[in-house]
Amino acid sequence: MNRESFVPPTSQTSSGAAAAGRAFQPVQAITYLCASCAAPNTLNRSDPVRCKECGHRVLYKQRTRRMVQFEAR
Amino acid sequence: MVSFHTLEREEYFQNPPEDKSAYPLLAEAVAPHVGSFNALTTGGLLDLAVKDIGEKTVFDSNDPDRRGNKLTFRIDEIRILKPAVSNKDKTTISRRVYPAECRERLSTYRGRMSIKFVYRVNDDPEQVENKDVGLVPIMLKSNRCHLEKMSPAELIRQKEESEELGGYFIVNGIEKLIRMLVVQRRNHPMAIIRPSFTNRGTTYSQYGVQLRAVRPDQTSQTNVLHYLNDGNVTFRFSWRKNEYLIPVMMILKALVNTNDREIFDGIVGTDTTNSFLTDRLELLLRTYKVYNLHSREETLAHLGDKFRVVMGASIDQTDVDVGREVLRRIVLVHLKGDEDKFRLLLFMIRKLYALVAGDCAPDNPDATQHQEILLGGFLYGMIIKEKAEELLNSFRLQVVSDVTRGVGVNFADPKYINKVFEKVNFNIGQKMQYFLSTGNLISQSGLDLQQVSGYTVVAEKINFYRFISHFRMVHRGSFFAQLKTTTVRKLLPESWGFLCPVHTPDGSPCGLLNHLAHKCQITTESIDVSRIPELVRTLGVSSPNIIGSGPELCCVQLDGAIIGWCSHKVARRVADSLRFWKVQGTHGVPRELEIGFVPPSNGGQYPGLFLFSTQSRMLRPVRYLPLDQEDLLGPFEQVYMDIAVSPSEIMSGLHTHVEYTPTNILSILANLTPFSDFNQSPRNMYQCQMSKQTMGTPGTALRYRSDNKLYRLQTGQTPIVKAKLYDDYGMDNYPNGMNAVVAVISYTGYDMDDAMIINKSAHERGFGYGTVTKVEKVDLNEKRRRGEPITQHFGFGSDQWPEEWRAKLDADGLPIVGILLEQGDPMAAYFDENLAKTKVMVYKSSEAAFVEEVRLLGDDGDQEFQSISVKLRLTRSPVIGDKFSSRHGQKGVLSQKYPTVDMPFTESGIQPDIIINPHAFPSRMTIGMFVESLAGKAGAMHGIAQDSTPFQFSEQNTAADYFGEQLARAGYNFHGNEPMYSGITGEEFKADIYIGVVYYQRLRHMVNDKYQVRSTGPVNSLTMQPVKGRKRSGGIRVGEMERDALIAHGTSFLLQDRLLNCSDYSQAYICRDCGSLLSTITTVPAVGSLAEIRCRRCAKKLVSKAAASTTSDDAREIWEDGAGNKYRGGSNTTTVAIPYVLRYLDVELAAMGVKMKFNVEPK
Repeated sequence: MNRESFVPPTSQTSSGAAAAGRAFQPVQAITYLCASCAAPNTLNRSDPVRCKECGHRVLYKQRTRRMVQFEAR
Repeated sequence: MVSFHTLEREEYFQNPPEDKSAYPLLAEAVAPHVGSFNALTTGGLLDLAVKDIGEKTVFDSNDPDRRGNKLTFRIDEIRILKPAVSNKDKTTISRRVYPAECRERLSTYRGRMSIKFVYRVNDDPEQVENKDVGLVPIMLKSNRCHLEKMSPAELIRQKEESEELGGYFIVNGIEKLIRMLVVQRRNHPMAIIRPSFTNRGTTYSQYGVQLRAVRPDQTSQTNVLHYLNDGNVTFRFSWRKNEYLIPVMMILKALVNTNDREIFDGIVGTDTTNSFLTDRLELLLRTYKVYNLHSREETLAHLGDKFRVVMGASIDQTDVDVGREVLRRIVLVHLKGDEDKFRLLLFMIRKLYALVAGDCAPDNPDATQHQEILLGGFLYGMIIKEKAEELLNSFRLQVVSDVTRGVGVNFADPKYINKVFEKVNFNIGQKMQYFLSTGNLISQSGLDLQQVSGYTVVAEKINFYRFISHFRMVHRGSFFAQLKTTTVRKLLPESWGFLCPVHTPDGSPCGLLNHLAHKCQITTESIDVSRIPELVRTLGVSSPNIIGSGPELCCVQLDGAIIGWCSHKVARRVADSLRFWKVQGTHGVPRELEIGFVPPSNGGQYPGLFLFSTQSRMLRPVRYLPLDQEDLLGPFEQVYMDIAVSPSEIMSGLHTHVEYTPTNILSILANLTPFSDFNQSPRNMYQCQMSKQTMGTPGTALRYRSDNKLYRLQTGQTPIVKAKLYDDYGMDNYPNGMNAVVAVISYTGYDMDDAMIINKSAHERGFGYGTVTKVEKVDLNEKRRRGEPITQHFGFGSDQWPEEWRAKLDADGLPIVGILLEQGDPMAAYFDENLAKTKVMVYKSSEAAFVEEVRLLGDDGDQEFQSISVKLRLTRSPVIGDKFSSRHGQKGVLSQKYPTVDMPFTESGIQPDIIINPHAFPSRMTIGMFVESLAGKAGAMHGIAQDSTPFQFSEQNTAADYFGEQLARAGYNFHGNEPMYSGITGEEFKADIYIGVVYYQRLRHMVNDKYQVRSTGPVNSLTMQPVKGRKRSGGIRVGEMERDALIAHGTSFLLQDRLLNCSDYSQAYICRDCGSLLSTITTVPAVGSLAEIRCRRCAKKLVSKAAASTTSDDAREIWEDGAGNKYRGGSNTTTVAIPYVLRYLDVELAAMGVKMKFNVEPK
């Protein structure tokens, strides 16, 4: 994985999305924990980062529930 | 007695105390920083500062004949509040902002600063306006910080270390501190011989007397008296970075109503037979007559007239008023009374003449005796004061410009005043933040300091040793770093007990960057000395009003004010009595008072009794013998005192003091080097350096930090061999290494040249395992200009994007916590509205990292979610090439992880964790490491902690015997040697092997951060040579010296390969005839033929008529350039291999009209 290696082009036809009227639609089922009171919070689009309970300004993302497996070498 | 305190420590960590820390020494270590910051508010320094700034005046008339209405204004008070969320924020429940939040959010820990702006129109009553002047960064644990008096348990609840020390600021998430600076001792006239003084003018000599006068608000003004070769004396000062020179007589006459007789007597005194002095005095008095200024009023008016513009005086002030202002703000500003100033000035003149006559020696400005420490908090206050004054000045200038432009100026109208407020920049907080984040001092006055940058440093938390050292660091000033002479760097005996002789870096900052001895404290509060003048009077000191001076009289000064005269004999008695009372704590003599009695000598330091009570002085505790109590000594008095180093050394009738322990002269880090008194001294210096680069434990609240880079040793241990201070400073909370069984043997050859072998099984059990944590901030705001609407949002859009992104990212576009990121993996996805496309931020580093934490960071307002910080964890298991070191400046590189089966073993079956080569010892003489090895082995066998405090053993009671005895008791060889067997053959070695337990540190220099390889890669576009730098995957330069070596070896092909083929090899076309590289061009090929290379310069251009007349045979010779011009000839060209830069050189020279011609052979 070095920098010089060939990277396949990732973008598809670039003009399509806006023309087709597609807009940003975040899938927001993820809860974050408040750094101050540990209350679970969800964020919607254009929400500021604020705890719903105490108004704190830092939220932590929780560790993933899915199994994470590595080769221990 | 040292011990492991295992259970106590467990208890301490499980139930942190609710009352106070168990390690008060740590708080003492940073006390100078916190104390100086507290002094701004509780010490009233800011109040004193605004009082010193005083009133400013402005008039509203444009008419030169009429002044108009007068507006006077001043700042009455500066207040600083504790950090809180902004008033606009309505949602937050807790209004307090704690430092941990600022670290996480990469913001600044700052509190609101406001001023009380008071103004008055003509003689109307004063009006008060409270103005906000921005958010000013707050020092942690100061009296403006929420953490100030928190117990360890509370600190942990606020996500801090249990032993949070404070003393630093948090600016944009980075911990910054203002470093301590050595400056000249205040309020004491210092005799100086400096050849550069002669540069000021023709008659200027090298002699001078310099006094750094410090106002009660801690700002200073330096005054210098220059001796002129004709015997005259000039008074010099700097004001707003400009130098001014005034005849000293003018200052004297302006200070008080005096006459020549009084001045003569005040300087000469009883010494009338000293013709050197009387001659010069006569000249001094006579030459002043040319000014024709007789009375005080006249002199003041003269001064005022000359300095009216410089002082920025208001037009309604008389010349005399301005003259008084000059004296108040510039001349000996530490004194209030003009009488006092007059007397001290006379004393300074006398000292200057004594210096010139050789009656006294010059004072050494590099000696600690004449130095004090400029503390961070005081400097901070000085800058606030300057910015506050600038604010008033810009307010005045705004009004003046309104008046001249004819804008409706109406002082009586509050609306007008508010309009001016709006136009003036009131944001002092922003300027303070700039100061802290850059360390640059932007100042009109220069603050009487010698440098403009380098005032702040980052308090790096590589490990706790590094962190704590920052707060004990004292810098001599960056001005001295450029100095060619080494005198300033020398270790002088005067610094005994104040600056550590061991703890200074080697290399360029050596001797300039010192560390305070661990018991050295710095005063931050002014103490009450109001009873001293009266007290010394009762001891036989006369009033200061008498005509003093003369060799028999001793001048008694308190903080630079003359409080009386007496004989030298009486002075000694006064000094002794004061010292007794000072230690006893009676008669109103405070213990922090410094009593510097300089006895009369033959050409030594100018005698006198100098008392000091002010802030910023260094002090250290020493036992006072007559009372057997603690005395605090300063560097000025120490020089003239007799202090025994150990009780056995005391000689009755001579020594008055004895050291508590000889280790008091060492810094915190130097004290932690085990048995440092056994080592060759440079090794102890190296250890002080290396302990600060160790991969250790930076702290316990690492979860709540977001340092760019954080090193961490996974399984640190408490050393078996440790100094007493190790426990006192609570270093076990921050372990810095591991105990290892070390065999000193030349075993496989892999331990040559400071390499070391690690037992592979020890490595597999986790020896030296560490991690590096990096924090990457992804801020979508950075891509957007201010004021533009937000168009980028974290998360995926509904457009098409590669599905494999989701392997690393969650649906919210943020990385999955716990996932492994490799080079090129997406780290965050965001949707760009403008492009209607989902984009990703890519993880760029070539080293794979685990996502440890993802934090969503809010801003101060209600802006949409725009920034995250991702904490990445890099695993750094020890690999070949990593650096390790013992605690004795013995560093080495891991050269092999050797299989356990092949490692040598002792008779008891012990196999070493580490093998080092015996050749590491003879030249370095780190005997302390041998002793540590012995002590560690004995400690491990008996299960005890060993005390390694230096200076505990003697010739009669040796360390080798003490620990040897313990080893023998445990059944080992007395000397620490053991028979060992080869792990490969199983045979016993011919010699017994020295094997023991040594504490090893893993240093943060790791090959993974350093290795650099390149076959091909990026090149510089101008020269086509490879770029440099590891980050850009550049090459390593084969420089002149390497070239020399290759030439000497005759390896010409290698040389050509390095310098040409692997660098900027290129092919170029050259004309054989004219030898030019630049004139060759490619022809436009005729139909059916190939392009050729022709020399444009040697070819003849064909005019269209001539072209028509050519024959067909000739036509083949004719060629065409890109512009359609036809030529004939210039075909004698060829291809050569040249370095590309040669072409560049040719082009550059051609641009300057220089031609390069190359002779091409063979022809």
